[in-house]
Amino acid sequence: MKIHLPEIQHNEDGFEALVRLFSKTEECLFDDIEIDMGGAGWFDADMCAPFGALLYKLSDRINTVELTKIPPAVTQILSKNGFLSNYGREKLPDTFGTTIPYMRFDAKDDRYFAGYIEDEFVRRSEMPRMSRGLTKKFRESVFEIFSNAVIHSQTKLGIFSCGQYFPKRNRLDFAVADLGIGIRQNVLDNTDLDLKAHEAIAWATDGQNTTKRGQIPGGLGLKLLREFISLNGGRIQIVSDSGYWALERDKVTMREIKYKFPGTVVSIEIDTADKRSYKLSSEISEKDIF
Amino acid sequence: MKKNVTLSVYEIVGVSLCVASDDGQKVYERIASTLKEDRSVTVSFLNVSSVTSAFLNAAIGQLYGTFSEDQIRSKLKVKDMQPDDLALLKRVVETAKQYFKDPKRFNRAVKEAIEDGGDARKR
Repeated sequence: MKIHLPEIQHNEDGFEALVRLFSKTEECLFDDIEIDMGGAGWFDADMCAPFGALLYKLSDRINTVELTKIPPAVTQILSKNGFLSNYGREKLPDTFGTTIPYMRFDAKDDRYFAGYIEDEFVRRSEMPRMSRGLTKKFRESVFEIFSNAVIHSQTKLGIFSCGQYFPKRNRLDFAVADLGIGIRQNVLDNTDLDLKAHEAIAWATDGQNTTKRGQIPGGLGLKLLREFISLNGGRIQIVSDSGYWALERDKVTMREIKYKFPGTVVSIEIDTADKRSYKLSSEISEKDIF
Repeated sequence: MKKNVTLSVYEIVGVSLCVASDDGQKVYERIASTLKEDRSVTVSFLNVSSVTSAFLNAAIGQLYGTFSEDQIRSKLKVKDMQPDDLALLKRVVETAKQYFKDPKRFNRAVKEAIEDGGDARKR
């Protein structure tokens, strides 16, 4: 089977193209699948997270996946971040130091993921010199995204991440994808709310809503992320099942997409030139916590 | 009079990045064991550089399913926390109080605690 992939930007069209590709291949078993990337003149590096997740799912069904006719510039960036190492290419050194490598984690790899963020982002000198407050907020946001995938997704095939820094644009992109049950199914299983996929994402990011039911409470992760990105002026996009949800400059966009992503993707873009201190305007006393 | 206990989150977890729910569970078990002995406990976050809501929900939010608000307020303290982490903990605590106000959730939490053996010292 041969599928053509167009350019993949990290926006609705990019996600739509990836899920369209998956819809054509999801029933394949022990097949040879060629993904012709001749038309992919641009590929946003953080989209390696959802793309890699989908290809991993295809491989899990013992399909042989081959990526062909990759344009040179795309080959270069996807070799530098390690993505194409999974598909027969050698890893290239990241000479400009602007990639956050593509990685696959298991749900038990919380500490390993934390170490990866520290090593690949916080400690590297090439990465943006963000304010202390912003660095802490970014670090905690990506940990919250990973924790969400661990706690809610029930993924057995892993959690995938990738990022890219654009120094001239003062922008950092980072995405985490899982191959779990998706937000819509999670909400249905735990609340009896039968929502459309994009409505379920909106529900999950809102107020006190949570699907947590056991001894450990929860429900703050996506709200915290939303608050941070709003203050920073960045963007979040969440794709889960057939739902697309985005927040940018306090405006929410959401809609149903034609095909389903078999899990959840959370993609963030942050403004690295944000000099906000993220300090609280009034301090809370330790005596007032409980 | 029973001696107060000070717990070091850094010592329990072993790293400065306190992000995993499982690590929060370890902290919860130590706090719960101490509170069950009717001792006061101070939880120190010295040398902890990052916390997440997932960690704090497991470490401290979970206490509200086992102990009353009055018990926690009178016996539990935190110290050495960065201001924005304190603010996050406050939100976690408020969310946990609301979470366990739902009788179904509260009863399920109690049931699960009993099925787990109820005694954190077993772990």
